[in-house]
Amino acid sequence: MIIHSSDQVSRARFLKRFPVPKNFGVPAESRIVQGRTWPAPEGARRVKVFKIYRYDPERGTNPRIDTFHVDLDDCGPMVLDALIWIKNKVDSTLTFRRSCREGVCGSCAMNMDGTNWLACTRFISDLDAPAVIYPLANMRIIKDLVPDLTHVFAQYEMIEPWLHVKTPDPEKERLQSAEERKQLDGYYECILCFCCTSGCPSHWWNGNRFLGPATLLQAWRWLTDSRDEGSEERLDRLEDPFRLYRCHTILNCTRTCPKGLNPGKAIAEEKKAILERRS
Amino acid sequence: MNRPRMRSPFGSAIWLGSAKTGVEHWWAERVSAVALVPLTIWFLAAIIFHTRSDHAGFVAWLREFPTTILIILLLIALFHHAALGLQVIVEDYVHSDLKFAVIVGVRLTCFAAAVAGILAALQIALAS
Amino acid sequence: MTHIRPRSPNIQSYRPQLTSVLSIANRITGVVLSLGGVGLVVWLVAAALGPEPFSVVQGFFASWPGQIVLFGFTFAFFLHLCGGIRHLVWDTVHGFELASIYASGWAVVAASIVLTAATWIASIFMGA
Repeated sequence: MIIHSSDQVSRARFLKRFPVPKNFGVPAESRIVQGRTWPAPEGARRVKVFKIYRYDPERGTNPRIDTFHVDLDDCGPMVLDALIWIKNKVDSTLTFRRSCREGVCGSCAMNMDGTNWLACTRFISDLDAPAVIYPLANMRIIKDLVPDLTHVFAQYEMIEPWLHVKTPDPEKERLQSAEERKQLDGYYECILCFCCTSGCPSHWWNGNRFLGPATLLQAWRWLTDSRDEGSEERLDRLEDPFRLYRCHTILNCTRTCPKGLNPGKAIAEEKKAILERRS
Repeated sequence: MNRPRMRSPFGSAIWLGSAKTGVEHWWAERVSAVALVPLTIWFLAAIIFHTRSDHAGFVAWLREFPTTILIILLLIALFHHAALGLQVIVEDYVHSDLKFAVIVGVRLTCFAAAVAGILAALQIALAS
Repeated sequence: MTHIRPRSPNIQSYRPQLTSVLSIANRITGVVLSLGGVGLVVWLVAAALGPEPFSVVQGFFASWPGQIVLFGFTFAFFLHLCGGIRHLVWDTVHGFELASIYASGWAVVAASIVLTAATWIASIFMGA
């Protein structure tokens, strides 16, 4: 799918955050404190203010919000360009993951203006002034914008994301018709950036047990694969009040997927399959 | 290592394993929802029609046989649906052992309310 | 001493969107309507007990606070009804394109407002 804009539907302007206190349910170590303001570049004519979440594990202090001034005439059009510009020209300790800079690796997923997306495919001009950059929501933070994805990858590992076969290997290969191959479209493209899982309120409250949209989308990618012979165990593994049914079809996942995929639909397919095998 | 526990991430993700159940709860919520669509719309329409009725008028309506049946069906579907939905809400937000006490409370309250409502409807219908 | 890694903000910073706002609205209206169900039982029991207790309950619903409560229940009912139908359609694996999600979401909001207004206008006509 070609991404024409970094905004799939216009974002809410009237309510930027839920009306809850800033430190609502936030444990002491996660409270965000005031950071420093870095000097604006001299002689710059077009400047955008970026407020960025910082956390330095070596200092042992709480996370903070630093303010940067980016010279837009000296910087590429994407948010990732701005982050690289800051790292090169202002503060070399600013830490974030990035690799492909074209939306296929999923490394630079972060929360920009309150929604998750890839920094490399979101235009700076799409962000409010000041632009607010947080790491992916609801993750343990290793440093600055780098989240610890150990748990969500452990959940992904749990669904055994590889082909399960029970019949002996054929002489050449396991065949699949063009129509059967088409069933994988919209599911196999997932890049595991975890924008969706991080944006899912149900995963915020029950992430230790609920598998989350990214993993459930991947689970459907294997369930719907005509060559896979492990659907019985796969559905057994999913059928659980928390693992699957904690999904309440909020659909923040589909709303935020930077690849235009549909985890919400994949989960509906799974619920339907589980119903189908018993009715 | 910043992990507060030594259990492996994979072990934590597996935790107690799959319950291999859960579809019944989800399905019952859907079935009761489907039942509630006509029942609640009927009830609302009837109440609008009786906006100015007094006690005698209401009782006369409640004594009609179809009304009694529909009211009882409404009460059963409504409190079944409410018990299922409220349990999910409790499971979502309550993470201590208090969870089980609250779920028991919610279920018993819904059951008691349904029984009280059904008996009241029968009392009105069968009183001579 | 190992420092515990901070958790990045979730609801404190994540932007409300039509998807999450309608979801939490469906949940809140569900809780409200559960209380409404208890109100229905109280009303039925009062009707079963006779004209005296019934007039007390009716008197409350006829008062200004009672009317505001009833109006709230009406809007909560229609929002939960329309939102519930939207969920039932999703359960058949239809309407998941992002454009459909937004179109049905705004349709739920509009339908709830229109139906609430229509209900109260009808009720006022019946009462006149």
